[in-house]
Amino acid sequence: MTLNRRSMLKAGVAAATLPLLGSKAFAQSEPLKVGFMLIGTVNDNGWNFGHAQGAKFMKEQLGDLVAEPTIVENVPEGPDCERVLRELAQSGHKLIFATSFGYGDYVIKVAEQFPDVTFEHATGYQRSANVATYNARFHEGRAVCGTIAGHMSQTGKAGYIGSFPIPEVVMGINAFVLAARKVNPDFTITPVYISTWNDPAKEADAARAMIDQGIDIIAQHTDGPAALQVAEERGIVGGFGQGADMSAFAPNAQLTSIIDHWGPHYVNSAQAVIDGTWETGDRWPGLKEGEVQIGPYGPKVPEDVVAAAEAVKNGQIDGSFNIFTGPINDHTGAEKVPAGVTLTDAELLSMDWYVEGVIPPA
Amino acid sequence: MQFRLEKRPEPSRLMLYGTPVAAVVLTMFIGAIIFSLIGYDGIGAVREIFFTPLTNAFKWQDLGVKAAPLIIIGVGLSIAYRANVWNIGAEGQYIMGGLAAPWGALASHGAGGWWTLPAMMIAGVAGGAAYAAIPALLRTRLNVNEILTSLMLTYASVQLIYYLVRAPWKDPMGMGFPQTRRFASEALLPNIIPGTIVHAGVPIAIIVALVAWFIMTRSVFGYQMRVVGAAPHAARYGGFSENKTIWLALLVSGGLAGLAGMLEVAGPFQRMVPGFPTNYGFTAIIVAFLGRLNPLGVIFAGIVMAITFVGGEIAQTTIGLSNSATGVFQAMMLFFLLAGDILVRYRVRRVTPQVEARA
Repeated sequence: MTLNRRSMLKAGVAAATLPLLGSKAFAQSEPLKVGFMLIGTVNDNGWNFGHAQGAKFMKEQLGDLVAEPTIVENVPEGPDCERVLRELAQSGHKLIFATSFGYGDYVIKVAEQFPDVTFEHATGYQRSANVATYNARFHEGRAVCGTIAGHMSQTGKAGYIGSFPIPEVVMGINAFVLAARKVNPDFTITPVYISTWNDPAKEADAARAMIDQGIDIIAQHTDGPAALQVAEERGIVGGFGQGADMSAFAPNAQLTSIIDHWGPHYVNSAQAVIDGTWETGDRWPGLKEGEVQIGPYGPKVPEDVVAAAEAVKNGQIDGSFNIFTGPINDHTGAEKVPAGVTLTDAELLSMDWYVEGVIPPA
Repeated sequence: MQFRLEKRPEPSRLMLYGTPVAAVVLTMFIGAIIFSLIGYDGIGAVREIFFTPLTNAFKWQDLGVKAAPLIIIGVGLSIAYRANVWNIGAEGQYIMGGLAAPWGALASHGAGGWWTLPAMMIAGVAGGAAYAAIPALLRTRLNVNEILTSLMLTYASVQLIYYLVRAPWKDPMGMGFPQTRRFASEALLPNIIPGTIVHAGVPIAIIVALVAWFIMTRSVFGYQMRVVGAAPHAARYGGFSENKTIWLALLVSGGLAGLAGMLEVAGPFQRMVPGFPTNYGFTAIIVAFLGRLNPLGVIFAGIVMAITFVGGEIAQTTIGLSNSATGVFQAMMLFFLLAGDILVRYRVRRVTPQVEARA
């Protein structure tokens, strides 16, 4: 989105000289072209904004080694994304980040046709020789948010706006309520799924409906700040930014935020592709590596709560605390994880059950 | 100098076919100016959106795949609109066709055969037609406006997808992700050109349009549709039943939308996912009008719309034009077309006022 006329010309010339299949190898002096495919717009101030910031960070760090990153916005999760992926690969992008879950099938498909292009799929689970997956341990941030919620909620009820009931989202809900119940054992959470990652009107409607039903804390796993804006307007205890600091939209209601810092990962991947050392795999860093960060605490959060939140954060950074260590009961009250046992990454990545305290959606 | 609009004794054929072309040309022209004024490379935008998809042979497959569902749905809508039946819910019928087809594919998973695809096709058509039967019933029995009912049913069908992919149809190997399993190979549309993504739905779209054109111009059915739309009173006098026309119009347009849904789910998607609705049903409304409600015109209109979609993505990757630009271009095209339509029935006459009025 920040291309100027000169780089446009260059891009045009580069595209014109490319063979149709884009299989021509670039000379080493050529800067690496990196493409980003986003499901929303870069100005959503959340998920997509976070990736665009990461792209910018990559360009700043690597300078002339990489070309100005290409960002394609509003790409739906379906056959349309296959076309965009091919378009990026054909126009000489040698490293392509697909940043939404539903792109998975198509990334694999297009990657087969372009074996010399490197693909990375965020939040996915399908890999191949030239497709890696990467994600961030957002649930570690959720544990910090849940701790704050447990301390500050007066009704002991929170709402959670989710996109789809996929493991990544379920994990976040569970981490949030587990942390909150360590403070307030009666704490409950009601998830609502709106079947989209980004629809500010739906997010706001869901937030209003849940506030009317008596929740005073709201969290969301969608892309934008709509729910927080409703929280601000209705004057409930508050909510949490997701993906980026959203305090500009809810200066009082945002208690803190989970910030995705994708930049270092993008720098590492681009550098590895340039050096020829890139390998497929799954990368899943979190608070410790700085890929997930906790934003500034809001003005409403008292000092003792900040201290409790920081303790949970630092415990996860030094490894002394894991939110998914038993005993954990499922939502019916039956024991799911015995005391002292910690869920493995594989168990987390296929999580399809709710912990105690979650009121499952119908 | 003053101008006056004067009603033509007969609609102008030149303008009838000229305005769609003029709309496309004007869109390019005005679009280039607007985008230049707001600081983009306007000429580059028009080049990338309208011409690169045509000049780059590697993009033709994308045009075909993107245009096919638009053409099939657009043909159905053009038949209904000819009869003055305003089916706005083709998106919902497309979804129901897309849901009816995998029902068979999933039930017969691993036990299918040559008959799987034809059976899915019949299921798709039946699903779309059945969903369009609801507005038809409400319109003919209770006189409920089909614009509202068909549109509202679209939202209900979207919820049905969400329900099915989350519970009964959830992929057993999908780690809890809301989608169906990938269909077995006999339930997938074959690729007709090796090495490309062109699937059997593309030639089917052309055949559907040609057959529809033949029926509309050469059969009593086509005549009935046209005459009921153009002159309802005369049609009634001539013995054509209005209710029967409404039923036929909705069933045909719904069935074709359902067929498009089946072809999409068995072709590019290969499984049902929550992202299945991609507004083909709504975009096809523009296609039907841009194609002058003529099945042959719809082929060209479908390709023009596909060009704007594919070109819009090219413009994003090459010159960094925002995605919203595609929407602006499509909207301009429809606007100029509808505005230009006045020239079909009216002509512009220069009139010399008898008394110069001066302030």
